[in-house]
Amino acid sequence: MLRKGFLILLIVALGVMLAACAGETSAPAGDSAATGDSAGEAAGDGGQMATIGFTASLTGKLNVESTRQTNGLNLWMKQVNDAGGVALDGGAVQFQSTFYDDESNQDRVQELYTRLATEDGANFLISPYSSGLTAASSVIAEQYEKVMITTGAASDSNYTQGYTLVYQAYTPASKYLTGAVDMIAANSPDLKKLAIVHENDKFSTDVSTAAEEYALEQGFEVVLFEGYDSGTTDFAPIINKVEQAGPDAILGGGHFQDGSTFARQLAEKGVATEYLVLLVAPPEPTFAELGDAAIAVAGPSQWEPQAAYTAEAAEAGGMEWYGPTGEEFVSAYEDEYGEEPSYHAAGGYTAGLVLQAAIEKAGSLETAAVKEALDGLDILTFFGHIKFDTSEEAHGLQVGHEMVYIQWQKNDAGDLVKEIVWPAEAKTAEALHPVR
Amino acid sequence: MKKWLQPGLWIPLLLVAAFAAYPAITGSASARETMFTMIMSIGLASSLNILLGYTGYVSFGHIVFFGLGGYLGFWAIDELGWHLAPAVLLGGVTAGLLALLLGLAILRLRGAYFALATIGVNEAMKSLVMNLPFLGAATGMELNFSVYKSYGGPATALWMVYWSLAAIVLIITVVSYAVKKSKFGLGLMAIREDEDAAGIMGVVSSRAKTWAYVLSAVFPGMIGVLFFFKNGIIEPGSAFRLNLSIELLVMVMLGGAGTVLGPILGGAFYQRLRGLLLTSDLFKNIQLAVAGLLLLLIVLFIPSGAVGWLRERSDRLRRVLE
Repeated sequence: MLRKGFLILLIVALGVMLAACAGETSAPAGDSAATGDSAGEAAGDGGQMATIGFTASLTGKLNVESTRQTNGLNLWMKQVNDAGGVALDGGAVQFQSTFYDDESNQDRVQELYTRLATEDGANFLISPYSSGLTAASSVIAEQYEKVMITTGAASDSNYTQGYTLVYQAYTPASKYLTGAVDMIAANSPDLKKLAIVHENDKFSTDVSTAAEEYALEQGFEVVLFEGYDSGTTDFAPIINKVEQAGPDAILGGGHFQDGSTFARQLAEKGVATEYLVLLVAPPEPTFAELGDAAIAVAGPSQWEPQAAYTAEAAEAGGMEWYGPTGEEFVSAYEDEYGEEPSYHAAGGYTAGLVLQAAIEKAGSLETAAVKEALDGLDILTFFGHIKFDTSEEAHGLQVGHEMVYIQWQKNDAGDLVKEIVWPAEAKTAEALHPVR
Repeated sequence: MKKWLQPGLWIPLLLVAAFAAYPAITGSASARETMFTMIMSIGLASSLNILLGYTGYVSFGHIVFFGLGGYLGFWAIDELGWHLAPAVLLGGVTAGLLALLLGLAILRLRGAYFALATIGVNEAMKSLVMNLPFLGAATGMELNFSVYKSYGGPATALWMVYWSLAAIVLIITVVSYAVKKSKFGLGLMAIREDEDAAGIMGVVSSRAKTWAYVLSAVFPGMIGVLFFFKNGIIEPGSAFRLNLSIELLVMVMLGGAGTVLGPILGGAFYQRLRGLLLTSDLFKNIQLAVAGLLLLLIVLFIPSGAVGWLRERSDRLRRVLE
């Protein structure tokens, strides 16, 4: 009897739920998942409402990065709506967002993006977090002729597939370490010998191969180019090879675990080098736990809170300055979310900012006009320089933005702090060298 | 001939055809995408059912055929410039061959040992692909957008993929029914009930199991090619995703293992439920928790699946539902 009662309850609950869902799905498109800002009413004053569609990884392995990215985008949207929107000929445009959970996997990305583009009437799209998910959504953006700004998608290959409406906010993977080569060339012109030691996975290999090519072009000599397996914990054989090769600087690394282990073991062995630049690990705050082994270790980051891109730097570089300063962004973000923004958050904000700049320049919400504006965009923001490749082979690839290179240094109080040492227009301190 | 006119066959066929026709009637691209996910799940669950439902062998890593078929087909389209149709066949043949080889080796294992071995196979295949440069190694492959243009534009290409999928799933339904009604199927069911007794009755169980495995692998291989062609990108992580494999088991169990109609109902219900929760204002932030709770309740109270439950209700339903 109890069993039967449960069963009936189950069926009723299920029925109610499905009915509730079905009711919502037939609701008018666009407002089904508005952010809850006062945007809706404000648009009633004769203005227009633009919908931005995207998927976020509310669940799954990409949750943390994706949530920060969404936070950044939402902050931009709130600020622009509070300021009255973007002024166009037909009245001010305000923004609202529609988003769904992609569960950190590709299975439903196309389904959800198709829904955003067709049923929800999204005017513009923002990419999901990560290159893989972005690749699946790019097909849909292109097919339904929607401009999509990608953020959190560093892979170069997505921009060589013939898409014309997909624009990258991040620095592509192939340029992760090229700035380090520039930095060495600028700070120590007489250094010539580089060792590149990298994790044997696709991302790190691609980054390292591109860095090697660039270094050779710049007249460096690569005395060691060596890969190590993912999950390596003992770097002794690799370090022996490094010592034999006797490089002036060591570049490479992979992810957090191996990168920090490599840095620690290099310090334990007392390997002398002028520069040590590693991927991914150094920008993480927990890298400081290495203590003295972290000193003078540098690494690339898409953006850092103290990156000092300014209107003056823009003027000096012949670019237009656009949007808030880094300080304004950081304090607004901290007020809103109670934590310091990571580069994922800054990337999300920048995606909105880039869209705003293009819409203002185009004076329209039409895809073709916004595309033309994006093609011609050349601005400096708190996130850095934004300019897109417009060639047929790599349309939409980010060519303006540079990684910033942080280096762990000791401040006057003796605490380990991250300082930006490259590029010149963003640096907060001179690069410390030699490492040992 | 008579067995082809039974409601046990045409009810599932009509159901799949009705699902497939829905986006064509509404003409909505969004409906097509939703139905694509659903019909794909129906196809994968029905294929798995041949092994899981009829033969009683739990395959946790069945997605390996979807992934491997998808990889080979994608490679043929991307690198060799093949048309989609032969690539789909290549995907199916590759998956079938892998199942044949594996079947000879791991189908000697029974119960939990076999289930564990299938997970191992999936992980091993993922590692292998990650080290094969011609398949793009760790980051996989991407399809140039111009490829879709050669099929008459991306919109036409996506509709073509959709209809191909619908056709394949209709074929799977017929095959599933044919197996169930055949002597071969009877042998499989005998193995499911008691493998040793089946052997004594004259069923050559190793051969029967292997062919059931091959049959259940060919179609996921073909569907994989369609899915990844549409997706435009294939990566080891998304091709050999163990979670999807487990979701398939849930679908088969939900609808009723060992029935033709069960995986169709299970796949449709599961995906529709997930899709609705995912896009609903009320539930989208807790959709996984809600889906999990519902599934738990269903499995607790209807352990034989929807079709099994219906069949227990009345004699008439038992005659009509297969």
